[in-house]
Amino acid sequence: MRTEYDGKQGVLMRKLFKLTLVAGVAAAVLATVSPAVDAFERRNGQKIMVMAQRQAVPIMDPSIKYDASIRTMQQAMYDGLMKYTGTPPTVTPWLAERFEASDDGLTYTFYLVKNAKFHNGDPVTAEAVRWSFARTLKLGKGPAWMLNAFLKAENIKAVDDHTVSFTLDRSFAPFTSFLPWWYIMNPAQVMANEVDGDMGQKWLIDHEAGSGPYKLRRVEQGTLYELERVQDYWKGHKGPLGGIIYKLIRESSAQRAALMKGEADISTGLSPDEFDQLAKIKGMVTSTEPALTAFGIKFNTQGKYTSDKNLRKAVAYAFDYDALVKIYNGRAVLQTSPFTDSIKGKVNVPNMPRQDLAKAKEYLAKSQWPTGGIELEYVYVQGLEEERLMGLVLIDNLKDLNITVKMVPLTWANMVARGSKKETSPDMIAIFATPVSTDPDAVAIQYHPSSHGAYYGVHFYDNPEVTKLIEEARFTGEWEKRAPLYAKIQQMITDDQPEIFGMMRERRIVYRDWVKGFEYSPVRMTEEVDLYPMYIE
Amino acid sequence: MIRFTFKRLMLMVLMLLGLLAITFTISHIVPADPAALAAGPDANVEMIERYRVEYGLDRPLAEQFLVYLGKLLSGDWGKSIHTTRPVWDDLVTYFPNTVELVVFSIAIAVLFGIPLGIVAAVNQNRPIDHVIRVLTVTGVAMPMFWLGLMAQLFFALKLGWFPLGGRIEMMTDPPQAITHLLLVDALLNGHFGTFVDALHHMVLPAVALCFPALASIIRVNRAEMLETLKQDYIVNARAQGLSTFRIVAVYALRNAMLPTMAMIGLRFGWMLGGTVLIETVFDWPGIGLYAVQAAISSDFEPIMGATIVLGFFFMLTNLLIDMIYGTLDPRVREQV
Repeated sequence: MRTEYDGKQGVLMRKLFKLTLVAGVAAAVLATVSPAVDAFERRNGQKIMVMAQRQAVPIMDPSIKYDASIRTMQQAMYDGLMKYTGTPPTVTPWLAERFEASDDGLTYTFYLVKNAKFHNGDPVTAEAVRWSFARTLKLGKGPAWMLNAFLKAENIKAVDDHTVSFTLDRSFAPFTSFLPWWYIMNPAQVMANEVDGDMGQKWLIDHEAGSGPYKLRRVEQGTLYELERVQDYWKGHKGPLGGIIYKLIRESSAQRAALMKGEADISTGLSPDEFDQLAKIKGMVTSTEPALTAFGIKFNTQGKYTSDKNLRKAVAYAFDYDALVKIYNGRAVLQTSPFTDSIKGKVNVPNMPRQDLAKAKEYLAKSQWPTGGIELEYVYVQGLEEERLMGLVLIDNLKDLNITVKMVPLTWANMVARGSKKETSPDMIAIFATPVSTDPDAVAIQYHPSSHGAYYGVHFYDNPEVTKLIEEARFTGEWEKRAPLYAKIQQMITDDQPEIFGMMRERRIVYRDWVKGFEYSPVRMTEEVDLYPMYIE
Repeated sequence: MIRFTFKRLMLMVLMLLGLLAITFTISHIVPADPAALAAGPDANVEMIERYRVEYGLDRPLAEQFLVYLGKLLSGDWGKSIHTTRPVWDDLVTYFPNTVELVVFSIAIAVLFGIPLGIVAAVNQNRPIDHVIRVLTVTGVAMPMFWLGLMAQLFFALKLGWFPLGGRIEMMTDPPQAITHLLLVDALLNGHFGTFVDALHHMVLPAVALCFPALASIIRVNRAEMLETLKQDYIVNARAQGLSTFRIVAVYALRNAMLPTMAMIGLRFGWMLGGTVLIETVFDWPGIGLYAVQAAISSDFEPIMGATIVLGFFFMLTNLLIDMIYGTLDPRVREQV
């Protein structure tokens, strides 16, 4: 029965719902003003390419820092004397049209192109090259580690306007392989913005002074970075484009949605599942090629249990390598050497461990723990699902050896800290390592005692014979003499099993079919893209 | 009231100092090496040491804390070892974005939560009450990030009603920063298109963020209204023939609002520091994301900066709620 009170309630409810509805209608009105989404963005009538990226670019200064996101931007705004291009990656002349090395391998002379200009119109001179190298060496950050043991600032000379020479303290074969990561800055522009003798460090956080194909138009920290194309770039362009927006989209599912909706044109940070879903959609182009990056489960070779080579061998033979490939939906290739495929001088090492339980038990029987009964710690990066799955594979595989595995997820910072000392480095630790160059020294050095404590040196591997070979190879000039040394190094490292040599994950890059000119090179880091050759048709 | 406010402000200073000391200690005893992280994965020992010395990480912990406090008192919030950017610049960039999102979100929660709480109470155990209660349970139980992702996929990707994420349309240059609050700056600069665009970008993240607060406000308001509606003075008002709207809106709601206000205040404080999931899903450049990034990379000075700002505003919100309490309830004012 409906009462008078019910009727009054009805009035009250209607009034309250009216209020609620007003808010709802306001939201709907906002929804209708949604801007129409074009196939691609435009500015001043020119097409703009949008990259969906996960990682911010907190600093642009070439002397201070590099990682995948920073280097993507640095490569677009700056030029180096040389540049990595293609697959397999080759070091090609860039600002230097050619170079000569002295017979003793100590002096390198670079001859610069004559038409290169900085973005403010100043010419790129030998003095600018000298100053840029000297600045990086003096500040001692970023790429300085690559050369500071062999090169002093005073030994770089501007011979004339377009000739610069470098005299090394001792012959160092990989010298030119590092040069693509040393960018040339305009000294006049940088020093005009110097504060308290900082050599322009504060200014270069979010400004640039380069000669590259793009200049910085806008920085919105935490949101996006916009590049404007230098239309009269000294090296020319391959196709039309007005600029590039590097937009931060941190979630893989949101990146997928942005590509589908046309809010992004290229993405490099998709999960395997999101990638596979996009690959099936018309209008999407995918690139899946093996990277220089190696994944391995590194043993602490000076740890309580894993110092025993037979135990390490037993674990390596018990591991299911096919599972690694399955975790990446088949988009990975197993390593056949400690060196990945694009590294110069890489050989297929015979008897690379593959799952063989009989052999695993044979090695275990020879170890100090012939019946197992031990627990090994497996540390991986918190939140990295693939590494967690690898841990589950280990648990399953080592059960047959009566070895239990304790999975410990840590943040990268804590993981690196634990791996920095042999006393705290875990028994097993999941590591992706990307060498900075294709020279074999870039990988071999990871097994040299000087790498102990670095994230790729958490194995604390120390074989004096291997160490001697690594040193001999890096200071030998002729490749014919170096190649056999590296073949031997690869074999010896494999025999010592400082890690479970895993796989080379394929890079997962998706772009819309109107994006042209994408050039893959495995030397680039995961999520690093060379923007120079790209354009929108 | 002035004495009360002064006392609370003094207490706030002490609490902030305590918060600083605890955060500083915890962030420094975590086994991470910020100098090594900042120097980069390939850096050699000398390069790592250079960072350690430059940022004073080679000094004893107590000395580092005192140096930090000294710098803070002179207005220097330090700089990020990871990005080398001044912390103050970062806070000014990121915090206003979070404030705008949280204010908008809490406004939605209040605008919908209070009326729905009243409707549920007035219709206790009727179908509309059940529907609202299901909504509240869902709001409390549903993970915020999942709700955000679903909203993003349905309303942005499928229907195209809202943008997928971000603060404003990417081709739009933001207005000149005056207050650093984008909505306010857009209005002050006369960029009404940007204002609407910014508001439009805010709807999905704000709705996803507001759900737990909305649910809590409805639940508390419903419970308090039920209690209040049973009071003698309400029966008396009904007997005098006052309209239900007047009874509920003027007499009952005023008393039921006290705990609801406390809940709104608490939720506002929590939301300020707890927006990271929504900020990640919607790429909202807020302080939650900033603080988490700093924590992951053991970047001490940004961690401290974010802690001070969030702690201060959390305490300030609580103080304001207490003052509003006094305004709404004369008994509280008299006690004070």
